[in-house]
Amino acid sequence: MGKVLEVKDLVTTFRIGKKEYEVLRGISFDINENETLCMVGESGCGKSVTTLSIMDLLPNNGRVVSGSIKLNGQELTTMTAKERNGLRGKQMGMIFQEPMTALNPLLTIGRQLTEGLRLHLGMSKEEAHKTAVAYLEKVGIANAEERMKQYPFQLSGGLRQRIMIAMVMAVQPSLLIADEPTTALDVTIQKQVLVLLNKLKKDVSTGVLFITHDLGVVAEIADRVIILYSGCKVEEGDINTIFSKPLHPYTIGLMNAVPNVDKDDFEIQPIPGTFPNITEEIGGCRFHPRCPYATDRCRAEVPAGMEVEPGHFVACHKVEEEMRK
Amino acid sequence: MSEERKVLLELKKLKKYFPVRRGVDLKALEDITLKIYEGEKFGVVGESGCGKSTLGRVILQLYPQTSGACIYYGRTRDEMCPKYLAKEVAKLPEYQKKATEFYQKSLEVDKKADALRKELDALSARGTDQETRKEAGLQKKLSELEFKSKELRKDASRQLREGSRTVGSLILCKDLPAVQELFSKAQKETEASSAAIKKYRDYEKQYAQSLVEGKEDADAKAKMEAAREEARTHVEASRAYRAQAWKEYHGKDILPITERTQDPAYQAKLDGNYETGINLGKLTRDEMRELRREMQMIFQDPAASLDPRQSVGKSIEEVFVINTDYPADVRKEKTMELLEKVGLKREHYYSYPHALSGGQKQRVGIARAIALDTKFVVLDESVSALDVSVQAQILQLLNQLSEEKHLTYFFITHDLGVVKHFCDRILVMYLGNVCELADSKELFHHPLHPYTESLLAAVPRLKVGQEHSTESVLEGDVPSAIKPPSGCPFHTRCSKCMDICSKEKPPIVEARPGHFVACHLHNTKEEG
Repeated sequence: MGKVLEVKDLVTTFRIGKKEYEVLRGISFDINENETLCMVGESGCGKSVTTLSIMDLLPNNGRVVSGSIKLNGQELTTMTAKERNGLRGKQMGMIFQEPMTALNPLLTIGRQLTEGLRLHLGMSKEEAHKTAVAYLEKVGIANAEERMKQYPFQLSGGLRQRIMIAMVMAVQPSLLIADEPTTALDVTIQKQVLVLLNKLKKDVSTGVLFITHDLGVVAEIADRVIILYSGCKVEEGDINTIFSKPLHPYTIGLMNAVPNVDKDDFEIQPIPGTFPNITEEIGGCRFHPRCPYATDRCRAEVPAGMEVEPGHFVACHKVEEEMRK
Repeated sequence: MSEERKVLLELKKLKKYFPVRRGVDLKALEDITLKIYEGEKFGVVGESGCGKSTLGRVILQLYPQTSGACIYYGRTRDEMCPKYLAKEVAKLPEYQKKATEFYQKSLEVDKKADALRKELDALSARGTDQETRKEAGLQKKLSELEFKSKELRKDASRQLREGSRTVGSLILCKDLPAVQELFSKAQKETEASSAAIKKYRDYEKQYAQSLVEGKEDADAKAKMEAAREEARTHVEASRAYRAQAWKEYHGKDILPITERTQDPAYQAKLDGNYETGINLGKLTRDEMRELRREMQMIFQDPAASLDPRQSVGKSIEEVFVINTDYPADVRKEKTMELLEKVGLKREHYYSYPHALSGGQKQRVGIARAIALDTKFVVLDESVSALDVSVQAQILQLLNQLSEEKHLTYFFITHDLGVVKHFCDRILVMYLGNVCELADSKELFHHPLHPYTESLLAAVPRLKVGQEHSTESVLEGDVPSAIKPPSGCPFHTRCSKCMDICSKEKPPIVEARPGHFVACHLHNTKEEG
């Protein structure tokens, strides 16, 4: 299995006023072929900024300061804007949260689906049309020929999201980034989309970076999980490890805060305090003001992070000390 | 669940249609009938577009209802005495008269229809070409007449129903003027008692003020006692008049207004319409405004519900400025106390919404909702926009407040995990209809409606490794509420759909104690 994406020590900053603030504080991870990596965290933790950094779609006041992003072995950060433009859509596709805003309301579905095929794969009009219809059927849309002529407003949220998926998958990118693709959908429709994504994953050798804040969705779709907190990776591991023995206090807090449908006696246990703003200066571990186990060391020193077991990474002083014993 | 619990709100056949264009309505709510008890956390779940938000807003009268009633028991009539009551009593004979007229008209129409029918029979006995054409014309006329008579009968029973809201089955009484007189006397007493209670409250305030100032105002105390006594006599008098009317006329001398009026079951039904609470739909603007102090709403997006140009303190204080006559320093102190109560700091009084995080903004929203003597709060997806860790904090706060202030929540959400652990009873809605209503544990352990089952199956679970079932995935989308499917609204997506489902709308039955479900699967079982 080759590595599709390798991200190393990625630092992204945003300029607010005259100061620059670090939004990503050195994040490293990689995605293999045919693998789904879920990135979990609360809003403001840098999930979306990571995807935007990879796609080079950061807003004007944001920039990648250091670190490297490699797609299929090619370094992206040193490329020119034009070269990266050639990769977007062709080698890495993105599905957004709100399918209505991602689709152009003035063009038919067919026009939007074939555009990518013709541009990236150089297909003729007829070929592109045929491929598009085939992909619409693949994502479970009945009477695809009819749908090709319709406009986005004629479709429901679930259908629109399916079309987004078809549009991205048709070009067969090696990396698919899905930024909260099911958050705006109802549970029943969300289930449909998740089942579809799981099915498609088996057919193609695409690496998927799946962003979400819903741990339930993670359990359904992920192979591996990264937990982000305020621009830092706090824990990484394969799905079974993360759910069976989470180690970082934040991961544990997050798991306990989700109201579990399967349990009867559930006590709501919130994580105390509020999520830090990026402009806040917090010395040491970013999580220490909310952490029940915080010590003086946590307040002073940034935890380096260690591999507890092969593939299971945790950045926490407490875990590290316990491991040493 | 004990039967003794006090009902706070009762919805009777509540309907809400939004007009789309002429003759086309979006049927947002269809015949919602339910009771919400005091101190209860009542959850509503469903997919987007199922009418859950509309229901919350109709209850608060932010949207007027199309038909049906929404009755509030949080205040007694003796306390409040809305103006519509007197009007209704005055209109009683009119209702009876109109009902009679409508029914007589329908009888006339029936006669005409009968004549036509005879003519038709005669015609079809023969049967040349010309006559068949004539026959078709007559047939059309006949069905028109039949329709008209049905509508007239409906109008008649509608009139009786309106009347029965005030006097129950006494609307059928022959001696209605006497009943009306007794009721209007009772009404006058109620008005007097509500005035006396208001006086009592004023003196009470005056007395409390004097205590604060350190010198007890004996005069105010005496007046207070007098007002209380006055109120009590008026309340008792009004009860006595009503009881008298009830005793003397109930079930006696019933007029044959329509063919059903002699039927005891129908009379009982009319008695069931008798209202003792306050019908929110009939209040005047000012009266509703008065009640809004007790009925509040917390919205989904805390950022959108706060004025970005007003400091948090001012936003909350506005509630006191509008609704009370506290002096400025008291208002400020009260606001500070509220901020502390919802887990914010006193300093937040001076900060602006943009400086707060989502969870903090939602806390401000909560502070505003509970600022006055709130009894009932509609929470419209109030925790959906928050991150899980903050969501849990807000839920904890809401729990704590409900115990402290004895609040009743109407909790609208699409997150089944949240309702399960937060609410006492849960209503599942689909396309504006009630699907299932049960205690939350009961609903999750024994879901009866196929829609509830598939909703539960669709929730992402916190479990890894198990093969995620794909069988119970619900196909397709929610149909349009402009043209809802015939029969059971869910039959187009239901995996257990039967023949009857597309033809007949399932009635709501109590399948287990306290567990209501609208599904043919459980309806037939009951009969068998």
